[in-house]
Amino acid sequence: MKKAVRMSPQTLSLLEEFLAQPAEWRYGYNLSRETGLKSGTLYPILMRLARHQWLETKWEATEEGTPPRHMYRLTPDGLELARERVREARPRRGAQRAAYAEGRI
Amino acid sequence: MADIYLRKLASWLLRSALALAPPDVRPWGEAMFAELNRVPSGWAALTWAVGSLGVIFTQTLLCLFRAQNSGASTLTSPLVLGGGDTMRKTTLITGSGCLLACALFLLVPAFRQAVRVSLTQWHDVFHVTSWQQKPGLDVLGRRARERGDAEAMAFVAVRHWDAEESARLAEDAVRLDPKLIWVYAIVAVRHPGLPEIAAWVPKLRQWDPQNALPHFITAESIDIAQVTRGGKVPQRADEEDPAWKTEMAAVSQSQKLDEYSHLQKELDRRVVLRFGLQDPEMVMSGEEQYGLPTYGTWDSFRYAKFLVEEGEKLESQGDHVGASGKYWSVVRLGQMMGPDSLFIMSPSIQDAYKRLGGLAEQEGKNDQARLLGYLAGKLHDAREKEIIAWRNNSTELTIAGWSASVVRASGLLILVFIGFAGISLVSGPAQKGFKVSNASHASGLIQGLGLVSALGLVVSCATLYVSYRPYAYIFRRFISTGDERGIRELYQFLDSARSPLGVHNFGQMRDFVFYFWVGATLLGLVVVLMISLRLYLSRSRVAAMA
Repeated sequence: MKKAVRMSPQTLSLLEEFLAQPAEWRYGYNLSRETGLKSGTLYPILMRLARHQWLETKWEATEEGTPPRHMYRLTPDGLELARERVREARPRRGAQRAAYAEGRI
Repeated sequence: MADIYLRKLASWLLRSALALAPPDVRPWGEAMFAELNRVPSGWAALTWAVGSLGVIFTQTLLCLFRAQNSGASTLTSPLVLGGGDTMRKTTLITGSGCLLACALFLLVPAFRQAVRVSLTQWHDVFHVTSWQQKPGLDVLGRRARERGDAEAMAFVAVRHWDAEESARLAEDAVRLDPKLIWVYAIVAVRHPGLPEIAAWVPKLRQWDPQNALPHFITAESIDIAQVTRGGKVPQRADEEDPAWKTEMAAVSQSQKLDEYSHLQKELDRRVVLRFGLQDPEMVMSGEEQYGLPTYGTWDSFRYAKFLVEEGEKLESQGDHVGASGKYWSVVRLGQMMGPDSLFIMSPSIQDAYKRLGGLAEQEGKNDQARLLGYLAGKLHDAREKEIIAWRNNSTELTIAGWSASVVRASGLLILVFIGFAGISLVSGPAQKGFKVSNASHASGLIQGLGLVSALGLVVSCATLYVSYRPYAYIFRRFISTGDERGIRELYQFLDSARSPLGVHNFGQMRDFVFYFWVGATLLGLVVVLMISLRLYLSRSRVAAMA
């Protein structure tokens, strides 16, 4: 079930964020804040990653009266694949950033 | 304070969306909803909720097209916000609300008009009736006879698709009110094959002796008789029927060309107000009948050509006065027919001016020759402009054409959504009866279909109403005040709305009707095959289990 996941720049940003703290369970809003992705962009990516089993998810019980929160973490396979994809994309993204910084694009 | 309300609004929006979301999408919706409490400000919460709504909506739509339990959701719901019952209830409430909104639309007369107009495109496809055949006209005709209302009879007479009924109504109307004699002319133009025309024309000539229209009507009758006898269309002046030449000579000697459109429009408005008629398709269809007989323009072209040929013959014989008389007849014919008539397209009128200019030059009247040459040039320019306008008209889509497309598309979507809503209504009980496998998914699908249909129905109704409303206004203004602004656009709109989407001419219409019925037959066969296959498979399973 480890199908290829479409690697948009937003997906790569999210994977980089997961890779920064790979063992931690992360919340949706925190991910949104760290990556700058809006809910309308973030959740379809999370859904896709979860569907391809790159992500594991769990519900966290919270204090009385507030709904349980949903948490996300890369699976071991997801971690490996994410590292690979980010590594592949990094030189290209680096070159793009450099080009942008130099005003070439 | 605003922060609290924005947060409440965000929360309400997401809760509502969650209640409608199918089971596969709901857990993810709940995940987004749970994060809402962590968003620090009201605006940010609202932005979060709007983004989440987009996700829920997109995923719900995708869910409708996905295979059963394809693993769209990898989550299980913590059941924070209730389950299927809430969804069913909300679907039912939203669906009922949408249907109520559609019912309210039906209370608006302009919307009912719009629906009628949007359905006209199907008349010729289903061959139920032609768009010209309007049952409302028969009803109005009966009411007019019962009341002895001569004007209403005349109103129906000029619009009725059946020539004999049209003639009967016209004669009854004139018998009751002899001032309505002009109705004969309009009915004769619309139904040129009527035998009554022979008796009507002398009466019209007597009533309005200066008018060229009765002569045009007779000339057309002669043309029709010639064509139906199998005779050839005359190509040269000496082949023309003498009776036709006499009528056309009378045309060129007439003082005016009155098609009685002003009288008809006034009568239309009075009848529409008296009978409370609401259907612009019925009312305005009469307006399109105004004008010359079908052969009128062609007759005028032929006669002008004949006159120019006669003039040239006389000129070659040295009879300049006689030739000049023939050319001036062409000019007078053009003046009588008016600058807006198609006669301007006749090359003969330019020839006549040029010839007159030539004769004036020969006589040493240089100023007159220059003026006539200038007028010939102006006519040439006007003709070129008209040709360009025609070409543009055939390729450009006007605003009225666009509106007609939107109205037709909305009307079509209304039918499609009504069909879907019907399927979801029928499928609900059927599913209970036949124990469909994976019932919860099927139930979600049916509810989703019902909900999308109800929402689509409201949106289509609103689009139909909004795109038709300006034309309803033009129609109402014309009827109540006689203001003719926008009437041309209304004609264009109604004309475009008569053919199905994508059909622009008769040939395309013929193909459309053919492919439509082929498609419908194939679809029907596929449905029958699928039902048969399903029945066969279920019986086989039952037999195997036994």
